[in-house]
Amino acid sequence: MDRNDHRKLDQLRAGRSELENHYVDELLAGRLDRRQFLRKGAVIGMSSTLMGAVLAACGGANNSSSASSTSSAAASGTPKPGGTLRLAQQAPATAINPLTIDDAGGLNMLAQTGEFLVFDNNLLLKLQPMLATSWTPSAGGAVWTFKLRPGVKFHNGQAMTAKDVVYTFKQLSDPKLASNALSTFTSVLSPDGVVMVDPMTVAFHLEAPNGNFPYLVSSDNYNAIIVPDGTDFSKWQSTFVGTGPFTLKSYTQNVGASFLANPAYWGGKPYLDGSTYTFYTSQPPQILALQGGQVDAIVQFTAQGAQSLLNSSSYNIIKLKSAGHRELSMRNDQAPFTDPRVRQAVALAMGRPQMITALLLGAGQLGNDSPFGPRFPSTNTSVPQRVQDLTKAKQLLTAAGHPNGFSAPLVTEQYQEIPALAQVMKADLAQVGITANLKIESQASYYGKATYGNSDWLDSTMSLVDYGDRGVPNVYLEAPLTSNGPWNAARFKNTTYDNLVKQYVAAVDLSTQQQLAGKIETLLLAETPIVVPYFLDGLTATTQEVHGVNPTSISAIYLNKAYIS
Amino acid sequence: MAIFILKRVGLALITLWILSVIVFLAAQVLPGDPARAILGPLAAPSAVHALDHQLGTDQPLLTQYWHWISNFVHGNMGKSYSYQTAVAPLVIKALGHSLELAAVVFVVVVPLGILGGVWAALAAGKPRDRIISVVGLSSTVVPELVSGIILILVFGIALNVLPISATWPPGASLPTQLYHLILPAIPLVLILFGYIEQMARAGTIEALNSDYARTAILKGLPRRTVIRRHILRNSLLPTITVVATQVGYLIGGLVVVETLFRYQGIGSLIVNAANAKDFPMLEAGILVIGIVFMVATLVADILYSLLNPRIRYQAAE
Repeated sequence: MDRNDHRKLDQLRAGRSELENHYVDELLAGRLDRRQFLRKGAVIGMSSTLMGAVLAACGGANNSSSASSTSSAAASGTPKPGGTLRLAQQAPATAINPLTIDDAGGLNMLAQTGEFLVFDNNLLLKLQPMLATSWTPSAGGAVWTFKLRPGVKFHNGQAMTAKDVVYTFKQLSDPKLASNALSTFTSVLSPDGVVMVDPMTVAFHLEAPNGNFPYLVSSDNYNAIIVPDGTDFSKWQSTFVGTGPFTLKSYTQNVGASFLANPAYWGGKPYLDGSTYTFYTSQPPQILALQGGQVDAIVQFTAQGAQSLLNSSSYNIIKLKSAGHRELSMRNDQAPFTDPRVRQAVALAMGRPQMITALLLGAGQLGNDSPFGPRFPSTNTSVPQRVQDLTKAKQLLTAAGHPNGFSAPLVTEQYQEIPALAQVMKADLAQVGITANLKIESQASYYGKATYGNSDWLDSTMSLVDYGDRGVPNVYLEAPLTSNGPWNAARFKNTTYDNLVKQYVAAVDLSTQQQLAGKIETLLLAETPIVVPYFLDGLTATTQEVHGVNPTSISAIYLNKAYIS
Repeated sequence: MAIFILKRVGLALITLWILSVIVFLAAQVLPGDPARAILGPLAAPSAVHALDHQLGTDQPLLTQYWHWISNFVHGNMGKSYSYQTAVAPLVIKALGHSLELAAVVFVVVVPLGILGGVWAALAAGKPRDRIISVVGLSSTVVPELVSGIILILVFGIALNVLPISATWPPGASLPTQLYHLILPAIPLVLILFGYIEQMARAGTIEALNSDYARTAILKGLPRRTVIRRHILRNSLLPTITVVATQVGYLIGGLVVVETLFRYQGIGSLIVNAANAKDFPMLEAGILVIGIVFMVATLVADILYSLLNPRIRYQAAE
């Protein structure tokens, strides 16, 4: 960096907040690489122009990795306007109601016409402005203020203002309503905390400081599309009214949906004239439809059963790092799992790379028995990865008084590759003398009422469950692992852990988050209340003529920059 | 005959009522509750309570059942829990689809099965009989999933001559609709051909060995006349029974074929409703299948009595 660059950087730094300057320091010191700087800067609301200027001024000071766009998904060549993209997706399981939607098929419908304050761009692993142009935390991170994008119109012609945003979030966070977003907002945000500052500014007064709050109002929280003030959510499916690049043409339950380009879109009219979605209730017909040329893209698929796509060069496969994972919990309050050595032995028996190869056909990342995975910038990668060690596992079992092993029930659900994973786990455990008695249940029986005493998921001695993708690990760290968490299937109670998580959630800057993540990861490895064998990649397939689609790992797909060559 | 039909209809109504009670009770035994099925396993308990209250599923069972049945007898099938829209149009549309596919299959498989069976029986024990029977029985045991995928791979993808999705574009004409139903119909024809062919064959052989057939042949009637006038009519009797019992399967039991060929039939509608504990949809779907099944059995009984005067006289007495 020469003197000129220094002067430029000083100019850029003048007048910026303490936190923003802190990140610039971190970048200069090499503790943040360029990609992490972009990601973290976006969380605290630094504009991309500012971050770009800072990076330019820093020049080659730190180019360990660049914010590269991901392979096939990035638009290449000159976009060609026109055409209708045909996509296959899972049929929405319920009414298209922004308040109650929980399934992959339904949430992608919301994302076609609806938009969020913030967009979590999973291709770049970075937050981007959507309906909010900027956002800033108060010192400590208990109040977050969002500036709204001017000139945005709903599909009904009405201008979007703070009133609409306040209405949306008051509904979503209202504990008296059937809001699915409550699983994120409970003890984070209550309706009273949503405040209109002026017609284009909204402030969120949180119940506790939260360093990653922008993720909770981003596309990760799929219920949080901004709807006009006073919208009846249960009737939303007749209009699909939003601010997005596409408007509803038709929607037929169980059959499909079609959308038209919105010429008045604030981000410019999309290249496509429109899109049509065909709904399927299982994966094989979707793959056949892509191969047979009846659709141009599959919104999301799982690796199992998709060998023909993954092994073919005729399709663009977009792989996204996701935080979706499988979690094996062991009842810390039930023998023999009261002894941490027994729990460690279980974790050491697992052959993780083989699981990824066999069950996910390579489309996954190693898990290290904590919810921290490659999707999160805060993950502390200096904590060593746990690897299979049968000898050590046997030693631990002997030391714990089980030289000949033991047998224990392992209950799980019929979902994606999980029954096969349970079989592999059983085989791995057998190698160290542990007999896992598998019980594979339908999802409804397995989850039951999802409260303690009424749920095989939460009550079984060993329980193997799925967790879907989220933009921040907060829910994974709290609900299944804190002493009073509602999904603590392991009955893990550790006050040191509880305090670390509280600090982590509140921490606004990345180095503190990473430092705390390191402590949490180390503590979880020592205690091993859960085994996280792997994280599943999000998979999207298109034909080679499709460009510029932007999928997310929660199985939504954004088509505003998509085109067909 | 009129009394016979009235009696049967009365019995059918009672059966349907009992069916509705059984479905209601069975739905209560299914794990999970409707609100949680909609909101997902990880939804906040307060949200689940709010939605259960909204749907009325937090009320006592008797109240829920009374509410549903009083609406149903007034012709109101209610509102789907999952989709928040009226059940009737969804069920009627799905039933229409199922009936259309079933009709295509019947039109192909019934004449084919009867002809095959009679032709095999006329050469009983000879190679022709063996070949027809072995092929028929073998195709019966090939699961729809297997034959369906092979058909899709061959005709839909490799040769690319037939559409792999049975759902036709909106507003398609009848020929186009039938064109879309060719592939999904074949696995079903394969499964049913064996049954019908075997029943027709057995009936024909029995009739061929009967005294009246021997008499007819001995009195010098041409072989063709004997078969048409004496054999065919008698050999059809058991075949009709078999066909009638397959109606239930063809209307409501095609979940695999409907899923594979993406066809919105009533079978998958019911399975989805059961998974989602969408009780109004489940009841409506099952009762509709029940009605179809009973109508089919009634028609079969009437046909049977027309072909077999012995039964007709008994009923009239």
